Order: sequence, then C-alpha cells, then structure tokens
Amino acid sequence: MTVQGMDPFTIAPDQVASMYFDAVVIGSGVSGALIAKSLGQKGLKVLVVEAGSGNDITVADYEENVFRFYGAANKDNNSAYANPRNAPMPRDFETVRLHDGQINDHGYLVQKGPFEIDSTYTRVLGGTTRHWEGKALRMLPDDFRMFSLFGHGRDWPISYDSLEPFYRMAEGELGVSGDVEDQKYGGLTFGDDGYVLPMHKMPASFLDQVLARDIDGMQIELADQTFSLNIRTTPQARNGIPNKKYAKGTGFVPNGAVSVDQAVMGERCQGNTNCVPICPVQAKYDARRTLVQAISTGNVILLARTVASKVLVDATTGDVTGIEAKTYDHPDQPGHTTRVFKARTYVLAANAVENARLMLASGLPGKSGMMGRNLMDHGYLLTWALMPEPIGVMRGPVCTSGIEDIRTGNYRSKMAAVRFSIHNDGWGWATGGPYTDLFDAVDRDNLFGADLRQGLIDTVARQVLIDCMIEIPADPGNRVTVDPRYTDQMGNMRPVISFQLPQYTLETVAYSRRLTKQIYQRVGAQDHSSYDPMAPGWVTHNGEGYVVRGGNHWAGTHLMGATATDSVVNDRQQSWEHANLYLAGAGSMPTIGTANTTLTLAAICLRTADDIAARMTATAPAVGA
Amino acid sequence: MSLYKIKDVAELNRHLYAAMQLEHATIPVYLTALYSIVPGTNSEGYHILRAVAVEEMLHLTLVCNLVNAVGGRPNLSQPGFTPNYPCYLPDGEEDFSVSLQRFSPDAIETFLKIERPATLGPHESSKRHRKRKKGLLAAGHTGEEEHFFSIGEFYKAIETGLDDLYAEMGEALFCGDPALQVGPEYYYSGGGGLIKVHDMASAKQALDLIAEQGEGITENIFDSDGEIAHYYRFQQLILGRYYVEGDRHDHPTGNKVPVDWNAVYPIKTNAKVADMPEGSGVRAAVEAFNLGYSQYLALLTRAFNGEPALLVDAVGVMFNLKELTYQMMRQTIGDGSGTHAAPTFEINLP
Repeated sequence: MTVQGMDPFTIAPDQVASMYFDAVVIGSGVSGALIAKSLGQKGLKVLVVEAGSGNDITVADYEENVFRFYGAANKDNNSAYANPRNAPMPRDFETVRLHDGQINDHGYLVQKGPFEIDSTYTRVLGGTTRHWEGKALRMLPDDFRMFSLFGHGRDWPISYDSLEPFYRMAEGELGVSGDVEDQKYGGLTFGDDGYVLPMHKMPASFLDQVLARDIDGMQIELADQTFSLNIRTTPQARNGIPNKKYAKGTGFVPNGAVSVDQAVMGERCQGNTNCVPICPVQAKYDARRTLVQAISTGNVILLARTVASKVLVDATTGDVTGIEAKTYDHPDQPGHTTRVFKARTYVLAANAVENARLMLASGLPGKSGMMGRNLMDHGYLLTWALMPEPIGVMRGPVCTSGIEDIRTGNYRSKMAAVRFSIHNDGWGWATGGPYTDLFDAVDRDNLFGADLRQGLIDTVARQVLIDCMIEIPADPGNRVTVDPRYTDQMGNMRPVISFQLPQYTLETVAYSRRLTKQIYQRVGAQDHSSYDPMAPGWVTHNGEGYVVRGGNHWAGTHLMGATATDSVVNDRQQSWEHANLYLAGAGSMPTIGTANTTLTLAAICLRTADDIAARMTATAPAVGA
Repeated sequence: MSLYKIKDVAELNRHLYAAMQLEHATIPVYLTALYSIVPGTNSEGYHILRAVAVEEMLHLTLVCNLVNAVGGRPNLSQPGFTPNYPCYLPDGEEDFSVSLQRFSPDAIETFLKIERPATLGPHESSKRHRKRKKGLLAAGHTGEEEHFFSIGEFYKAIETGLDDLYAEMGEALFCGDPALQVGPEYYYSGGGGLIKVHDMASAKQALDLIAEQGEGITENIFDSDGEIAHYYRFQQLILGRYYVEGDRHDHPTGNKVPVDWNAVYPIKTNAKVADMPEGSGVRAAVEAFNLGYSQYLALLTRAFNGEPALLVDAVGVMFNLKELTYQMMRQTIGDGSGTHAAPTFEINLP
C-alpha cells in the first residue's frame, strides 16, 4: 500500500524549541526513522531533526529528484539530490589522488589520506537509504567474534543469535525480497520455524544464469580449506512478489511510494537498473517510508532544514541537557537561527561520520579519546570483462546475485574476508559506462548511424562487472576528526578523514584479482580490468597496483563494547559517559564483515528503541511546555 | 437503474465478457492521455492517471477471475474485443463516447463521465438512448435491449444476476477450475488487491472492489481502505487540489494539484494507421505497436487461462509498448497538420 502521512511542515521551529520531548533524534535516515517509529508507536513524543530540506514527501518532489538524476552529466551516487550549501554532502568526484602529506579540502569531507576514500553519504530526508542500492545481507555469526576467532578486528558484545530476532524485524521493516534457502552458508541461521523473507527473491538475471552455468561448483583451495563456489541470489530491500508463507502464513503487504497526497502507488521492481541513486518507481526501500509511518503515529514531529551543531552536556552529571541546532531559511544562502531542543533522551542517528563530527565539534572526544576512531568502510576492488555473447546488460536491479561462499573461513586469520557481487549495470561503476562507451564509439571508433547502434550493442550488452567487497577491520588510526580551519558555510566544522588500508585487506585485494581472473577465464570472458596509478584509491601490493574504491558503508566511529574503557557505547548503543545519550547506527558496529551495513544497523537500532522505551516507561513522561 | 435481469449462465457470461471489454476499453483511453504528457512535467496528473489505469488492469483481472469462477474462458484476442475508437462503452452508456486523445480538460471531462457515480446521474438518464450516432461503434455490447447509465449500474445488474443464478443453482454456479484464478501476488498498488473468486462471498468482494475503486457506488470520496475513487481522483485535476479525508464533494482542501495543459504532445485524436504516410517511420512504429499490443493481449489471455506467471512477462512487453508510444508521440504525423502520431489500437478488428 501507499505510505501516507500528514504534512510535517505545519510546526514552527520556535514552537518546537518550546517543547520538551521524550526523545530528540538527530537524523531522519534509517536509524533515526526506525527508532522514532518504534518510540512513537509506544506513545512517546519524539522530535526528528533533519539537515536536508525535507521536501521529499510529494510526487513532484520525488520526480524532481528523478529528473535531476536523468539530467546530470555526472551520475554519481548523490546526483539525484540537491546539495545545499548549508548542509553539504560528500561527492565521490571530489576525491583526488593525494601525494605525500597533501590534504584535499575541496569537497565537504577533508581528506588527509594517505588512502583517498571516495565514499559519500546523503543529507536528505531518509538519509543515505535514498541512494543506497538496497542489498540487505545479514552479517555472519563469525563476524561477531572476529578477534576471538581470527585475531583481527574486534568482537561484538552481543552474538549473532541474540541479534537474530532483530534481523527478522529489520527484514520486515525494510521489506526484504530474497530466498532464505540461498542464504544458508557461512553459518547463517534463520531459526527452525520455517522462516521466510517478506517477499520472494528478485529473479536472477540472465547474466547470473550464464555465469552460474560455468561457476557453480567451482572448487577453490584457501588456507587448507576447500570451498565450492555458487552463484546465489542476493536479498534486497526492494519490492517484489510478497511471500504468502511470511509471518506464519499471514503474508506481507509491501509498502509502496511515499506521498502525503494520494497520487502515486509505488511499484514492484521493474529492473530500471538505476537503484543508485534513485529508483524511478519507488520500489526500493528508503527511510522516508518508515519516517512517514512514524509521523502517522501522531507522536513524531519532523523539523527539517536544521543542522545539529552542538551537544550540550552538564559538566557534573555528564547528562546531555539539550542539542543546539541551526535552522536555515534558504538551502544555499547564508542566514540561520540557532535554537536548543530538549528532551529526556537524545539519539544521534546522523551516520558514523556525522555522529562523530558532532560529538567532536561539541568538545566531547570521550575520556578514552575513542570518539571518531576505528572508522571503517568496505574496500571495493572492481573487475570487469566482456562476455562472449550479449547477456542483457541494464536489466534488473543493480545486482541480483553474488558469490558468498568464502565470506568466512580459516583464511581470515591471514587476510580479510570478501564477497562478490555480479553487476547487471555493465561497467558503469568502474568506467562510467555506458556513457563513456558512447564517447569511445563516436570519438575513437568513428562510428555513426546503424554502425554506432550496433557497435554499442556489441560492447555494452556484453559487459560484466564483478565487485569484490573486502573487509577493513577497525583500526584506531582510521578516524574522523574536526579542525576549526575547515568549516562549512554555517560555521559547522567539517569532517576530517584519515584512512589507511591495512596489509590484511590488501592481501585480499590481490587474492580477489587472481580469483576473478580465473572466473573470467572459466566463463570465456575477456578481462578488461585496469587500474590507473593516477586515480584516487591507487594502492600497491607485492609490486602489483590496484584501485580500491569506497563502499559508502561508513562505520565504527563510536563502536560498542563490553566496557567503558575500550568502547564508546554499550551493546544498546547507549553512551558510557552520557547516560541519556544514544549514538545509533553503523558507527556502533565493531566489525562490518562482508555485509552492507544497513540491515545490521537496522537490527541494532530496533533493539535500541526497545531499550529506550523500557527506560522511559520506568520514569515519568515528558510534559509539553 | 436498468431493469434488465440476467436469466441464465450464458447471459451471465455474455455480461462478464462485456465487463472485460468495458474494463479493457478504458485502458487505451487512459494510457493515450497518460503517455501524451511530456515526461518530467505534470507529475501529479501523470500519477493520478497512471494509478487509475493500473486499477483498471486490476479490475480486468478481477473480472477474468469471475469469468473463470463460473466456468467461462476469458479471451482478450477475440475479434472486436478491443474497440475501434471513438466508441461507446460496452455497458451501453450512450450519452457520451470515448476517444483516444491527449491529456486535456476535454479528456478529463470524458473520464469523469466514465467514472461517474451511479447516484450522481439525473433521473431521466436511465432512459434508454437507443439511437446511436452514426460512425460510432459500441465496443461490443451486452445486447440491444440493455443500456446502463453508469458502470455502477452495469455491475449491479451482474450482481443481481449472480444472486438469482445462485438461488437457482447453488454452489454449482462456481464450477470453474480454481487453478485458473490469479492471486494477489501478481498485483501491486496503493489499495485493494487481487481476489481469487471461488464462491458467492469472494465474487461479491471482487465486484465491490471494482465498484468502490471505480466510480464509487457509495458516493464516498474515500473507500473503506481510505482510497480515493476514480471519479474524485480525476476531479482533483479540474479543481486543482487534492481531496483529504473529511472533504465535501467538489470541495477538495488538500495540497495544490498544478496542471500544465500545454506540456502535452499535440497528438491526433483517434489516430488511425491510414493517417500515417505509407513507408514512414511513424507508420512503422504505429504498426509495430498494434502488433505488439495484440501479442500483449494474447499473452494476457494465456495468463488468464492457467499461466498467471506470464503477467510478469507482460510487464516487459508494456515497457516496449510505452517506448514505441513515446517514439510516435514525439513525431509529427507527417500530413502537414503539425499534429503528432499516437497509437491507434486497431487490434483484431472484426
């Protein structure tokens, strides 16, 4: 059904500042929206503060984004969204190759290197789920015990088993399509009660099927273990065919398009292949769905165009007393009003980089000095080739299948974990195709007319790209800091990123290149992968050079742990030092394994919402002033 | 209200076939207006129209489920199934005809007539309009003697017929193969869903859904699921605002619905293949469209006769048809008039 809600812009910022809430949530992305919805459903009064314009609740707003993407010359993963100067967002093309000690401060992120990471996030209503691809993989049980098992990274203070019920809830909230039978590998369990995902799997693309012919059953040896590779469908938060068996036979009703007016329906995936940065038919989950449901409880208020600038803390008790935020009038022009918003509990859900940035800008690095440290992401090695025959590129969601069989194993004591995704969108991520293919065909190959059309079919329709998603374990040296020299238009300090890839990860970069070469040989494809030493992300290992791209999976800056001395939050994402403050989202994750972070962060945020509500109901409710 | 009564299963099937034709006959009309909107403009208009078109496809499927439930065989490829536009609607409403025309106030006025609530009609409207305008073909019809003022009245007659036949025959009325029913997994949208028909209760549910989503027999702007009836959806385009719960008829108070009647391809109304110069690109596109559409109807016929999974394939075919439509609508017809080409839906003409 269509997700409908009321117009959230009926309330003036001054009025909001005069109210006292049960919870103030900073950020309307998936973490904040899930927590707000859960608290709102329990009758608690919540304010959600969003830095972006918030104008994304009508058909016209949404289409403006779709057509901004269509018209963009550079179709990067934020190209669908307006980039307000008062709440700017990182763009991947701002990343440049850095030389010895150079600092890149041209974009919103200040990059100190030495590794140039081209990851981004999206500061709009719904956060980065607006541009995410929608892969909704669970982390493996081993990922939660990485240090104990492999001597690298860290352990979680909670186990896979204790999170499993919340994974199910998250799969329901996000609306995941997939086949549980395809997900039984690497120790993943789904209970013993015949659990199915809300919707049937996205059908494997023709490309997936062609690759499976030659790859399924391929044996590889890795650290004294033998693995059999298989092409498996990827679970994703995208509307497909509801599974009648879901929820013990009660079925699943998908949430469709978001609109305050009843004009648009939201459809099931039709394979437009531009999931990133925007699904033209709203088949892909984004957090606006959850947010509008939150607002529909009548207990949640949204305040957009408002950038949190300082967390105010009582020096004696350590409790947060308010959050100072700047509301701007115009997205690009200077001019804003600063107000303080108050509640019993505060939730920072602005993403791993922004949560840390806000805490550090507030002068709250923590006694352990860990705030902003252990910044993680996935490193992506891209490999690409031409198949011997056309395989129907540009149909289906970006990816429908992957290779998951070596997501864990004994080898992880020597090198990082890896999984592989097969891309239905050709070489786009690596080369900028199909647009660059057109330039090549015209300018280099001098094709025109019918030859040009056929020439594009001969090349583009045969493109295959396999991405290798590689783990980068927590390292205190990889971090977000702030520096008063680097501020944005409103005077907020920008995030400064220091990042380096460990040998542990580089080993797997090299291994993945070797394995994908074998795969392409096996399927008879011509390998066209090449890595430019002048490109950002260039790394070398044992004399070979590679370009490693960021995964936009920022994590780990306020990671959770068992004790206050070695972590920032406890297993409920509650700050050790500020009892009424929660830092929510991927920033709390001690490891990210080889799963896109969203499903896991959704699971821990649902768990956190239960915890916040339990504490609230134990004490007196908030009184509106 | 029409006084006509359905007397046997054969007549019921004839009426259900007319219902299939009726639901389908609106689809080319709505799609032509929908695709005439220049992409990227009129988002509200585009989506309002699209939502209605998709629900007509739902209604068509529901009627096919009804046909299958009583042992009929839905056939969308039968000659004459697709009307030759302009035409009267197959339920015998003859005070207006429907045309393939661009998104315009005139088109919306016709859509409002198509979806008008039974109760909004003037009393004399039930008078039979037996005299047909020359050159206008009824898009198949229920029978010479039957004419209904609204789609609601037409479905009321079917419901009464079902009641009468059920009183006579009991469960034997629903003798169809349950395996032919198309289930909810194949439909997606804002409200409602596909209902498998296997008895009187599910048959009435299906009929209620068609009536509620369509012109809204009950005269309510919103149905029980909180969904706006088609008539009021279209009205929003004329009145310039969205309806919200609690609004009175003709007085929507929601957000504005901006409409730009000029951001529309100036397509020829009720274009025909013969209007396009022989050997021209537009003619080839129009012919390819008609071929594609007849193949599409053949695919749907198979889907409604035991191969429901083909509905998923049909989505891909619709993409091709949409692309062909845009190809036509971007080009002038080539007759010097400056009007643009459009799909003609000349399919399996009798």
